[in-house]
Amino acid sequence: MSTATKEPGVIRALRDLPSNLWSSIFRNPLPSNDLERSSTSFTNFFLHIHPVKVHKNTLRPIYTLGLGLISLFLFLILIVTGVLLMFYYVPSTTQAYDRMLDLRGTVAFGIFLRNMHRWSAHGMVAVVFLHLCRVFFTGAYKKPREFNWVIGVVLLLLTLFMSFTGYLLPWDQLAFWAITVGTSIAAYAPLIGKEIQFVLLGDATVGQEALLRFYVLHVAVLPSLLVLMIAIHFWRIRKDGGLSRPERPAAEVVKVRVEAAATKRTFGLQGFVRGPFTKVGNVPDESVFSWPNLLLAELFVFVLTLSVILVLSLLFNAPLEEPVNVMHPPNPAKAPWYFLGLQEMVSYSAFWGGVGVPGIMVGLLILVPYLDRTAHGVGRWFARERLLANTIFLTMVVLNVIFIIIGTFFRGPNWDFVSPF
Amino acid sequence: MPVTQKQVEEPVGRRRILLWLSSVGLFGSAVLSAVSNLVFIKPRATYGQPTRFSIGKPDDFPSGTRISLDVKRVCVVRDGNKLAAISTTCTHLGCIVGISDTGFACPCHGSRYDQDGNVTGGPAPKPLPWYKVSLAPNGEVEVDKGIQVPPGTYLNV
Repeated sequence: MSTATKEPGVIRALRDLPSNLWSSIFRNPLPSNDLERSSTSFTNFFLHIHPVKVHKNTLRPIYTLGLGLISLFLFLILIVTGVLLMFYYVPSTTQAYDRMLDLRGTVAFGIFLRNMHRWSAHGMVAVVFLHLCRVFFTGAYKKPREFNWVIGVVLLLLTLFMSFTGYLLPWDQLAFWAITVGTSIAAYAPLIGKEIQFVLLGDATVGQEALLRFYVLHVAVLPSLLVLMIAIHFWRIRKDGGLSRPERPAAEVVKVRVEAAATKRTFGLQGFVRGPFTKVGNVPDESVFSWPNLLLAELFVFVLTLSVILVLSLLFNAPLEEPVNVMHPPNPAKAPWYFLGLQEMVSYSAFWGGVGVPGIMVGLLILVPYLDRTAHGVGRWFARERLLANTIFLTMVVLNVIFIIIGTFFRGPNWDFVSPF
Repeated sequence: MPVTQKQVEEPVGRRRILLWLSSVGLFGSAVLSAVSNLVFIKPRATYGQPTRFSIGKPDDFPSGTRISLDVKRVCVVRDGNKLAAISTTCTHLGCIVGISDTGFACPCHGSRYDQDGNVTGGPAPKPLPWYKVSLAPNGEVEVDKGIQVPPGTYLNV
């Protein structure tokens, strides 16, 4: 009303600029009640991957151990450090090793970034595998989550292949011979083995073509596939009803007295819902708001993951052996630790150790939710009802670990048995 | 005028055929592009080592020696005036076998071969192949890794 206090439009616009800018970016103020908490999760692009509310069981650290989240965060660290390393790397047999030395010597934080990349990669292989074990031992792959388990197995394979292709890039002795052995294993695949090897290497032997091919796979093809699969994996978690959790106690199952209604000649729909059996509100609400509960849990896991990787990268340097010498394989020539179980099996029979047994194991792994159709024991660690399934799986895991330990510590020159003690 | 059965079914049948044809067309082009991608990534020419190469004069290999040319991945065996070339690529998983007292030994998975390349131990599935050796007009010995010869085939020099 009073024209005396009226400011010019521009001044007011400038004064309100910060708050207008803020509120145009974030549509909600920091939430103070439940409605705002839900709309914060709902309307924010980065938060809307979460449901508005999650079941309490989802947030129990002892249930999930945070393994899936750790895998994701390690992958994010790998993308960031990987892209940074790409600025200095050249996929050429004459330059690659020198670039590794440059990372060590002249590039600021070069060695630190390489360490982070290497330890995150090892970590991701281990954590993805542990995540698979967690899902198995809690029976979380059962209906309706069968297909997400299959996507998970594909993600494990992609992670291994990512790690394998990255292994060649430093072009040192370790890299060269590990890839020589690894691609020769592929050649034992029936019918198309030789073709696969030739297409992978782009040549008859490991050389410039192989380095270029592995580089393209490592920085473009496989990460794209991995991102796509991770997206489907997460989307399916939501669509399959959130993380698995224990079944409700039997007392809470809703029963409808049909027989009472059926005796009557005519009855309406309301005949079914009359009485104490209304669906709505007769189960305790065990869910909590994603903001801030889930968010804080995720933040905690992220900080923990990053800190561990940072400390490891400060303390230990990623190994770099002598430059490639195609004439002299190191003796013994060993693959990365997660393939040493495979290499140990390969030392008995190339076909069965490298193609047959791993192929059968991956096939069984994919088929697990379609072979085990019982619905019991979901959402609990080592449920008694799942004793047989868990024992079989545990045996497989222990056998794999034993093979890896033998390959790592008990094999010396010419792959002879040696004692590490 | 009553509509006959034929008049009703005809347009449906046509649509069905069109649908079927376009599905086949789409699926076919998807398969074709997948195949052409595979054809693309399989190299037609390689840039690596030639399969046929010269290894020098016969006199470079004195009688009774077994000299391993690691870059070429062959071991040249000279016995009297007989000469042969045995592959040093392990038939198990492609490592380079080293010369040992009894023949060849692989550092990767412990395969062992005798002097003629026959498997004596370890996981190797096949003996080491022998390659064709010939004398070029300029007097140098030529090895052709593209042609395998039966073990025990020597070139007289």
